[in-house]
Parts: sequence; structure tokens; C-alpha cells
Amino acid sequence: MEALKQFFMTAPVEPAIFAQSLWLIIALPLLGAFVCGVFGKMLGRGNVHLIACATVAGSFVLSVLAFWCVSHVQGGSPVAMESVYSPNAIRYAIGYDYGTWFSVGTFRVNFGLLVDHLSGTLLLVITGVGFLIHLYSTSYMEHDDGYWRYFAYLNLFVAAMLTLVLADNLVLLFVGWEGVGMASYLLIGFWYTDAAKAWAGRKAFITNRIGDFAFLIATFLIVLLVSAFNSQANVANFTTVSGAAETAQVRFREGQQLKGPVAFQGLEVLANALPQNAEVNAQAAVTLQTPIAEGPLAGRTFGGVLTVALLLFLLGAAGKSAQFPLYVWLPDAMAGPTPVSALIHAATMVTAGVYLFSRMSFLLVLSPTAMTTVAIIGTITSLLAALIAFAQDDIKKVLAYSTVSQLGIMFMGVGAGIFWAAVLHLVTHAFFKACLFLGAGSVMHGNADETDIKKLGGLRHEMKWTWGTFLVATLAITGIVPLSGFFSKDAIFHGLHHNHLHGYESVTHALYYVGLLIAASTAFYMSRAYLLTFEGKRSPEAKIAHAHESAWQMTLPLVVLAVLSVVALVYALPLMPGRNGPQPVMENFLGPVFASAERIAGRADLVKLDHSVPGLGDYVFAWLVALAGGAVSAFLYMKYFPAQAGKPAPAFARSVRRFTQNKFYVDEAYEFLVIRPVKNVSGILYKLVDTLLIDTVAVRGTAWVTARVGSALRYVQTGDAQGYAAVMALALLGGAVYALIQVLQ
Amino acid sequence: MVPISYYLILAAALFCLGMFGVLIRRNALVVFMCVELMLNAANLTFLAFAKQNGNLTGHVSAFFVIAVAAAEASIGLAIVIAVFRSRGTVNIDEIRTMKH
Repeated sequence: MEALKQFFMTAPVEPAIFAQSLWLIIALPLLGAFVCGVFGKMLGRGNVHLIACATVAGSFVLSVLAFWCVSHVQGGSPVAMESVYSPNAIRYAIGYDYGTWFSVGTFRVNFGLLVDHLSGTLLLVITGVGFLIHLYSTSYMEHDDGYWRYFAYLNLFVAAMLTLVLADNLVLLFVGWEGVGMASYLLIGFWYTDAAKAWAGRKAFITNRIGDFAFLIATFLIVLLVSAFNSQANVANFTTVSGAAETAQVRFREGQQLKGPVAFQGLEVLANALPQNAEVNAQAAVTLQTPIAEGPLAGRTFGGVLTVALLLFLLGAAGKSAQFPLYVWLPDAMAGPTPVSALIHAATMVTAGVYLFSRMSFLLVLSPTAMTTVAIIGTITSLLAALIAFAQDDIKKVLAYSTVSQLGIMFMGVGAGIFWAAVLHLVTHAFFKACLFLGAGSVMHGNADETDIKKLGGLRHEMKWTWGTFLVATLAITGIVPLSGFFSKDAIFHGLHHNHLHGYESVTHALYYVGLLIAASTAFYMSRAYLLTFEGKRSPEAKIAHAHESAWQMTLPLVVLAVLSVVALVYALPLMPGRNGPQPVMENFLGPVFASAERIAGRADLVKLDHSVPGLGDYVFAWLVALAGGAVSAFLYMKYFPAQAGKPAPAFARSVRRFTQNKFYVDEAYEFLVIRPVKNVSGILYKLVDTLLIDTVAVRGTAWVTARVGSALRYVQTGDAQGYAAVMALALLGGAVYALIQVLQ
Repeated sequence: MVPISYYLILAAALFCLGMFGVLIRRNALVVFMCVELMLNAANLTFLAFAKQNGNLTGHVSAFFVIAVAAAEASIGLAIVIAVFRSRGTVNIDEIRTMKH
């Protein structure tokens, strides 16, 4: 046992050496995308499958190594990374700086990669789940002509997502952020010959762009904030950073010069050196209330700018992570191939917002306003999506809205400061939602692409593997003991209940009760989807009489994901020794990542993070809530009205149902409030600027003037020698007259 | 002795005649003849000024002009003949190749 422990605690490669090879994790899928995209058609199906899967598998192996290196304990001391910012080496992290990417004046961005416990966990999820989805796709896309294009996009997506996770600064993260946006556009609109699907891709792209714009502005604000801090902070500011204050200040400045203002390590030092108020550090020149002395932000306070930047980051995250008000693209994105939905919309891209806020937890805890906003937005999104999911009949749409809802729950966790639980829910959600999506794909595969759950039914006996795994995943997302979803969701709600955001205590308490409602709703609509699909009799409207089970390439990932969604519960169990009694494994594990946030929150009373562990009573209560939702659903759909197609819903439910089925008319509201005005304005601009100014005046006008001048000048160059001679004679005459005038004068 | 202004007026009259000929006539040969007329008008002024100043520079210039005019006339004639051979006309209205 001791030897085994020793084996797992010692990485096979020296971490410092492995750090230099981190770029390979990104480069492998990128290479795969290149080869599949350029040579795919020549290589043939088998080779494309091999390359696409092998590159992601290679990334997975490297990720495991990276993860292992991060947890490397040789001779009792954990792996530590030298950082230019801090005299104390950063623990439990490896990173490598590949030099300057670009620099403009004093602004500089390095191509630096960093793996710590947070990004290590995500690496494993992305490459692991990503590999399973690649494997699944080899069977799912068997009959598609564009398979090589599909696998190239899929690899590109994985590469972009890995860039996002590995980046050690905001700008490189933004590259991955944009990369996943582009790859998702390509994948959602994969079947581009179908106009509706191409439109769905475009909708996702545009909605994401709105968020990305906010992200960019927020990044600029952070850059300005850092430079203002550079010029205003004094030594006393750095007393709160570990080590000698003078050294810390010098190192911060050196780090800024070496790595630029957007590196996460630098921002962490900044967050540590920025006390919330003067009581904490009376000598500090800069606190959150200090006005900025010069530059474009002159007059604004540090805390104010930080809050605005974080809110803009929230808007950016709302676009990528499908939060209110920018969630509308995700349900439409189900137009893409089903494995894509599993990869993008469950396991990776949409969790980017949660990752971003976890990565910048140290900044977030400086602003309770921003935290509350994040939590409220998460709650609104989650509740809204859960309610819409009630009446959706398309199995993929139900899952899509459920994804939006679950992401809302993660945002609630992030907003309330339970970062570890949000990340854990991210991981468990990746497992069970990918399993659900792939299960839905398998159901569609076996039923001639039927997606209406009312026209399925009774698949339990015909698709045994799909049924089993779908059941496990449904129970997990519903929150049934002892599956992982229960623990991760409950950890978030528990933290929401006990954390204090200064000035907003009542808000988080209210959100806790809304959270219970969300949990019950989740149980209801997931049970409904499951029951209508798998239980009961086969619908008479089914397309084919008997469904068939899918190939092993599809069932194997399902089984693996189902197993993972069960065993991931270990991470939420309070097994590790902590400061205040036993600590959940995940909290302990992610401790080093969120240590700064913890320290900052502890220093002042803006945010009070709670570390209590849910008791048995809490567990039972949460379990009962979930069970109640599921039971209501089971009662309604099994006994009261097994609402098969054709059979009308009861009268009281009909109007509500229509309203819900039309997704609360949110899309229509956008159409009316945003799209129509923008269209009208652009129509006017088109008439006025484009047609009149540019086309008529600028383009045609230039041509007209040139033509007129040309036809006038044509008389000058007739080729008629006598004409030329006449001009010469006239010039001579002019010269003579001039001479005469001169002489007479 | 005849005053120099008489010579100059005569030369000017000749030059104008030649110039209008160049501008107006259509036949290339006549145009050439008119050019000769203009050259001779210039020669006349040279000689008139040379006579008045009593030196030989004007005479020398006139000889130069005559020599060059002779050479030019032969080449011009050759061109006109070549054009006539290729196009069957010496009407300069119809030979507008300079515009290309």
C-alpha cells in the first residue's frame, strides 16, 4: 500500500523537464486537425479515425503526465515552480515560458503555459471525455461523407480548448476562447447544406461575439488597472504579500516587465497587494477605495474599475457559457451532430466561463457586488432554463436546456465563492451530461433519427446498454444518492446557504431556496425525459418497430462515462483532514489554487467563505427535494397522463405549456427588442450610407468624374498632327503676345 | 538701304502663310512645302539680322537650316511614299496613327 502511494506521488518524469513539453498537449490535436483537414479525403475513413483519436489519446497521456507532475512529491516536498513574481515558489504547479509572443511599448504578452491543480483537472476532463467522444464519433459519423472535415474540426476544437485551459495569461486564454468559438461555429453548422443548421451555427457565433467583445474590454480595463497600480502602489501595499514587502514590490515590477500585465500570477500578486480598506493596512497607498491618479481611468476608484471589469467578464462568460441573457444560442446549437453537443455543450466549451472565474477567483473575492451579480445571473439562468425544459419534447433540447440550467448552478457556486464545488460540478457534469448526450445520440441512431420523446418509449428492453447508462446519468443529474451529481450540486447549495457576501446576505439566502426549486425542477424534467424515452410501451407513432443497440464504439464510451459519473462522488466526500475538521477531497485538492482567494477573503469582512461540511440532515433534505421532483414526474407521466403524442394535455396545463414550449418567447423578445431595431437602423444606414454615399457618390461618382475628364482629354490626344501643330501655334501666339506686352511695358 | 523692319514683316508674313498651310492643308506634300516656307521665313530673318550686324553668324545659321531642311525633306518624302504605298493615301486626316 505504501509503495503504491509512493508510486502515485512520484511522477515518472522530472516536473521541470516535462514542463518544457507542455506545448505538445496543444500541438498534437492541432496536428491532427491539420492532417485530417488537408489530407483527410486522400487518407480514407480508417486513417482519419486513427489520426483523430490517436492525437487526442496522445494529449490525454500527456495530460495525465502533467497532472502527475503537478502532484509530484519526491522526498516529502511537493513540486514547486519558480515564479518571477514571488519569492516563494508557486507550489503544486508546473509552467514554462516560451518567450515573448508580442510586445507593444510597455505592453507585453508571453506565450506561457501553466498547469496547476485546476487546469490539470480540466486537462484530464477535456482530453479524457474528448477522447471518448472521438471514439463514439467514429461509429456515429460512419455514414457521413464529410467525416474528415468533422474530425478535423473536432481536433481543432480540442486544441483550442486546451489552449484556453493551459494559458497563463488573459490574452493567450482569449486565443483559446476565440478558438473554441470558431470551432463550435464550424461544428454546429457542420451540415451546412441545411439552411436551418447553418443559421444555428451563425447564431452561436454572433451571440458569442457579443460576449467576446465584453471580454476584450474587460481585459483592457485590467491592463489599465495594473498600470495604474504600478504607478501608485507603495511598499506598504506589499506587506500583505508573503515575504519582505520591498522584495515583493521589486519582484512585482520585474515580473510586469518580464511577463506583461495580463499574466495570472501577476494579477494574483496585485489582488493580494490591494487591501479592501484602510483598516487592514493603514500605510498602503492604494486600497479599493483609492481614486486612480492619472491615465484614461483617472478619478475612478480601483474597486469600481475592478467591479466593472469583472461584470464585463461575466458578460463574456455569459456568451461562452450560455448564461442569461446570452444563452439563446445553446439550444439551437443542437442542430450539430450529437457527439458535438456532448463535447462542446456539456464537457468543455460552455464550462469556460466557470473556469475563467475560478482562475481569477482572487480578483472576484475583492468585489462582493460582482460576486452577487454572478450568483444572481446564474440563478436566473438556471431557473429559466429548467422551466423551459419542462415542456420540450425534443430529447436533445431537453438536455440542452438542462445544460444551461446546470451551468447556472455552477455560476451560483462561483458567485457565492464555493469555487471548488463549482469546479467539481463542472467535472461531474461533464461526465453525466456527456453520457446523456451520447445516450441521446445512441437512441437517435437506433430509432431512425427520431428525437421526439413522445414518439419513442419502451426502449428499456431494446437498447440495454444505452438504457442502463442513461439511467445512471439521469439519476446523477437528478441528484440521487449515491451518485456524483448529488454531492457536487449539494455542495454548491450548501455553500450558498452558509457563505456571507458582505451587504448581500439576504440575497444568497434567497438564492438558496431558489436553488432547491431548481433541484426539484431538474429532477422533474430529467425524469420526464427518461420515462418517456425508456419506460412504458413503445409509442405507436415510432418510425421503426424495433430499435437496435449501437456498436461497441458507441456503448463503450457510454459505460465509461456512466462509471465515471458514479465514482466521481469520492471527490465530494469529506475524507481529507482540513483546518476545520474533515474536508472534501476536491476542496483539499484545489486548495492551493484558491489559497489567494481564501486569504483575501479572510483578511477583510467583504466575503466570508464557509468551510462547514454538510451534515446528514442537509443531505437527507436535499435528497428528499430531488426525490420529490422525480416522484411527481413519475406519477404524472406514468399514471396520470402518459402524454403520448396525439393525446392532449389537460386544460389547466395547456396555456402554460404553450408558453413554456415557446421558450417563454425569449427569442421573440430579442427579435423585437434587439434584432428588429438593429435591422431597421442598418436598413437606414444601408440606404443612406451604402447606397447613397458609397455606391452613388464615392464609387459611381469617381467613375463618372474619371469618364468625363477622360472624354474631355480625349480631344487633346487625337493623333491628328495638325491638331498638335495648332496647339503649338497657339502657344507660339501666346508667347509672342506675352513678349509684346513685356516689351511695351 | 531697305530698313530691317521690311524684311521682318515679309518674314512674318511668310511664316504665317506657312503656318496656316501646315494647320489647314490636308495633303501631306503640301504640308511639307508649307514647312519649307516657314523655314525660309526664319532664314530670311537670320539673313536680315546678319546683314544689319555685319557678321557671318546669321549666314552660317541659314546654311545649317537649309542643309537640315534638305535632309528632313528627303526623309519626310520617304515616309510619305511609304505611307502612300501602305495605305493608298497621303491625306493626313486619314493617317491618325499617333494616337495609339
